[in-house]
Amino acid sequence: MTTARPANPVRSGNPALLGVAGLAGLLLVIELVPRIGLVDERFLPPASTIAGALADEASDAAFWAALADTIVAWAIGLAVAVVAGVLAGLVIGSVPVLRALTASTVEFLRPIPSVALIPLAVLMYGTDLGSTLLLVCYASFWQVLVQVLYGVADVDPVAFETAKSFRFSAWARIRHVLWPTALPYVFTGVRLAASVALVLAITAELVIGSPGLGKEIAVAQSSDAVPTMYALVVVTGLLGVLINLLARTGERRLLAWHQSVRGEVPV
Amino acid sequence: MRRLLAGLAAAALAGSLVACGSDSGGGAKTESGADQVKVGVIPIVDVAPIYLGQQKGFFKNRNIELALEAGQGGAAIVPGVVNNQTQFGFSNLTSLMIAQTKGLPIKAVAAGVSSTGEAGKDFGAVVVKADSPIKTAKDLAGKKISVNTLKNIGDTVTRESVRKAGGDDKALNFVEMAFPTMPAALEKGEIDAAWVVEPQLSTIKAAGGREIASTFVDAAPNLTVAAYFTSQKLITENADLVKRFTEAINESLTYADAHPDEVRAVLATYTKIDEKQRASLVLPKWPTQINKESVQTLASLGEKDGIFTGTPDLAKLLP
Repeated sequence: MTTARPANPVRSGNPALLGVAGLAGLLLVIELVPRIGLVDERFLPPASTIAGALADEASDAAFWAALADTIVAWAIGLAVAVVAGVLAGLVIGSVPVLRALTASTVEFLRPIPSVALIPLAVLMYGTDLGSTLLLVCYASFWQVLVQVLYGVADVDPVAFETAKSFRFSAWARIRHVLWPTALPYVFTGVRLAASVALVLAITAELVIGSPGLGKEIAVAQSSDAVPTMYALVVVTGLLGVLINLLARTGERRLLAWHQSVRGEVPV
Repeated sequence: MRRLLAGLAAAALAGSLVACGSDSGGGAKTESGADQVKVGVIPIVDVAPIYLGQQKGFFKNRNIELALEAGQGGAAIVPGVVNNQTQFGFSNLTSLMIAQTKGLPIKAVAAGVSSTGEAGKDFGAVVVKADSPIKTAKDLAGKKISVNTLKNIGDTVTRESVRKAGGDDKALNFVEMAFPTMPAALEKGEIDAAWVVEPQLSTIKAAGGREIASTFVDAAPNLTVAAYFTSQKLITENADLVKRFTEAINESLTYADAHPDEVRAVLATYTKIDEKQRASLVLPKWPTQINKESVQTLASLGEKDGIFTGTPDLAKLLP
């Protein structure tokens, strides 16, 4: 073949550079919109003012404590949801009766927004970490469970029967047939759950007042400290980017052998 | 195998539902024997004395290890106290009366915060935009007024201001909105007037807003706006702790009232109000006595406006 391959759109520029340029553009817009008076500066301060407030926050120990609280809530909640989701998914997925039994229940529980459970969370755990965790676990659990169920359903029946005829034990069948098939789905579930867990951790802190970045945002709001509030919102955004990067990198590393990853264009 | 898997599934499902969080019991003792006390507060100017008292050791002196739970919104504070997740709480008196008429076993133990009693120099007011045609409370008839919670202290006292100015208190159109959103909503003209407290009151005034009614002053002379309260259960089970807490609060209130500069400084520890505003905002009064007459007035006003399901029993509610 002599014809040149059409340029892949992702490769037509350095993606990291493009990402940074996009962010810089956004910052410029936020700097200009209040400066030229499109939005009142009191309600959306320019990016430079927000950056100043961010620097102030960074020199405050309370900010780092809040950041740590949010990360801890996110990590514990996600870990619980992943372990529970994977276990429940593998078990429910591999027993057809269970799957039929739970299908409607899962579809009933899954769309219930976590925030609707806030009164319940407050009743059970007050304004402590427990309340945040309840919401985080609930929201992320379904992400993982549903993906694992798909993963288990995707097992090649021939491979499974082959393993059976080779008299693999139940454990060996899970270990060597079921698990490798389900793994890419599990990772997708974890990646989705990681973002959802962060959103819910911040939301819970914001609404309930449990310790963390969300609570700091709420306090900034009620104190009319508008630049500080935006600075904290920026931090949650950065945290989101970081978590997504981490999840993607982890997925690529751990699934390097899988064709879904082998075929993927590096980002 | 199947049975085992089914058991595992049930365990995993049950586990995922209960694995989150741990039980939080209240009223425990520390190693040194001090009483661990959690107090549900709102992170606003009103509760500065308790933060100051904590800093000054007024609670530690009475063997109380204080933890302040600054949850969002007062709505969660009353259930928190009733469930003993927090042993004490801070709430406005109208909310306390609403809770009492609903049969919740609560009792005020100390004054919380009071109006300054000076029109134009109080920590809560109804404000309008600089160029608004509304000049007095009377002009509010038919207008859209924001309050932080409907059927609570905000609309009650605003109605009274309108009545006193000779306006029609039935013609008011109240909308619910969080205090922090009010400055922007007023600016945009989404609301005609806002019932606000500090720091939003000074924010709006700094932007040219005009105060048209000092609602707490209109409602009653030297109105007690809020109080610290606890559950009847704690009063029965640990009267000594309640007594010590009340003493510590009273000392804190007296100290705060006498040291406004320290109050402004302590605001920096639990709010993010900027330095300039901290120096200029109007501080409330912190007397230790609950002005019972003013609470009675507040109860009658609330009854007139139909926000209670029964008649509040003040003899039971107040200390």
